[in-house]
Amino acid sequence: MDAKLVNPFVDAFESVMPQMGFPAPTRAKLYVQQKHAQGKGVSVIVGFTKQLRGNVVYNMSEDTAKFIASQMMMGMPVAEFDAMAQSAISEMSNMLTANAATNLTGLGLDVDISTPSLSIGEGLQVKISDAQFLTVDMDLAGHVVELDIAVEQV
Amino acid sequence: MEKVKVMIVDDSKMSRVMLGESLKKTNFEVCAEAKNAAEAITLYAETQPAVVTMDMNLPDADGIECSKRIMAYDPNAKIVMISAMKDASLIARGRDVGISSFLQKPVSANDLIDTLLLLCQNKVSKGQILRESYVKPFVRALQGGLFDLVGLKAEMDLASDERRFLEVSGVAVIIGLTGDPVGRAVLMMDTETMKAFAALVAKKEAKDVPDEDASDTVEESANIIVGRGVSSINDVFKDKEMRITPPGTICGNSIRIASPRLTTYRITAKTEIGNIYLNVGFSEGE
Repeated sequence: MDAKLVNPFVDAFESVMPQMGFPAPTRAKLYVQQKHAQGKGVSVIVGFTKQLRGNVVYNMSEDTAKFIASQMMMGMPVAEFDAMAQSAISEMSNMLTANAATNLTGLGLDVDISTPSLSIGEGLQVKISDAQFLTVDMDLAGHVVELDIAVEQV
Repeated sequence: MEKVKVMIVDDSKMSRVMLGESLKKTNFEVCAEAKNAAEAITLYAETQPAVVTMDMNLPDADGIECSKRIMAYDPNAKIVMISAMKDASLIARGRDVGISSFLQKPVSANDLIDTLLLLCQNKVSKGQILRESYVKPFVRALQGGLFDLVGLKAEMDLASDERRFLEVSGVAVIIGLTGDPVGRAVLMMDTETMKAFAALVAKKEAKDVPDEDASDTVEESANIIVGRGVSSINDVFKDKEMRITPPGTICGNSIRIASPRLTTYRITAKTEIGNIYLNVGFSEGE
């Protein structure tokens, strides 16, 4: 666990979200978790290989996911977290991760990312590490998006 | 679907029969068999195969010379060299005449099909290449892995998966695949099967295995099985380097996993402790 690996993800969130029309997000909380993240409703996992190995989870409530999807689709109302909304959240995770990967390259780290897997369910346990990892809560217009960052430099 | 024509050039009848057998039940059909270089050239012109398997030792010329003559007739000919010896000088000589694929005898059916598919990419649909070359290795990895890990015999099934969600109440281990193609594999089983599986590994009663140990066991097994699958893909496609990400393991009731814009396949292993699923999906690209 290395705190310097958190910034590329936070920076990506802070620069990508406003480009999609969201107000500037703020960093609400930074804390350490063990092994598991507790699924908030919608959790997107993206894996890393090459000079960084591990997983990053974008973890949010279904309400927050619907709010984000609606904004991404030009304010179209999203009543159900349906295929279109899931696709939007997947796409957001892709953009955030690709942007973070570019930031990591700036730190001299060559990384490759997997496709995102979006899981939905109440009270799911998501194990992403064998040890401790860092979590950052980002405040996005009053909604919380939890970034679980379990990556290690190889 | 239209069959893809293959010409076999080999002086040994046994080799011709073995190669022909390997291609049965595939999308390839043997359109000609040649025993020597002279026949090969005549039959190539007559039957216009999409791809040629070329033995190194022929009575009237060697395989390189024969390939050279075929290439003189058709510069776009696709030839795979098959020989008992696969040494650097042979490969270098083959490359000089424009041969890019080399296999060593005895040729396994899988290697042969993968190589032919790769050579004929334009003639065979992309979906078929994905299924034959990138998904089937995971079928073998799951079947072999379950047997090697816990001695489980499994009846295997492979189907394309059009469902919007993968659903399971139990455990789902997600392992990302990076490289080309990019994708992800998900090993899933229900809680009861997970406990029984972990009990087999730990050689205990299912009731004596704590849940967390059980999911850890499945996670490690998934890592081994998916790693095997990727290794065998990398063995065939030496120019690609697929890698696996560390696993992300989800436990709970009614887990639903969506992967928009992936072409996915469901591999089912039916075992005495229940069904074990491996869903493999690849990105549909830009």
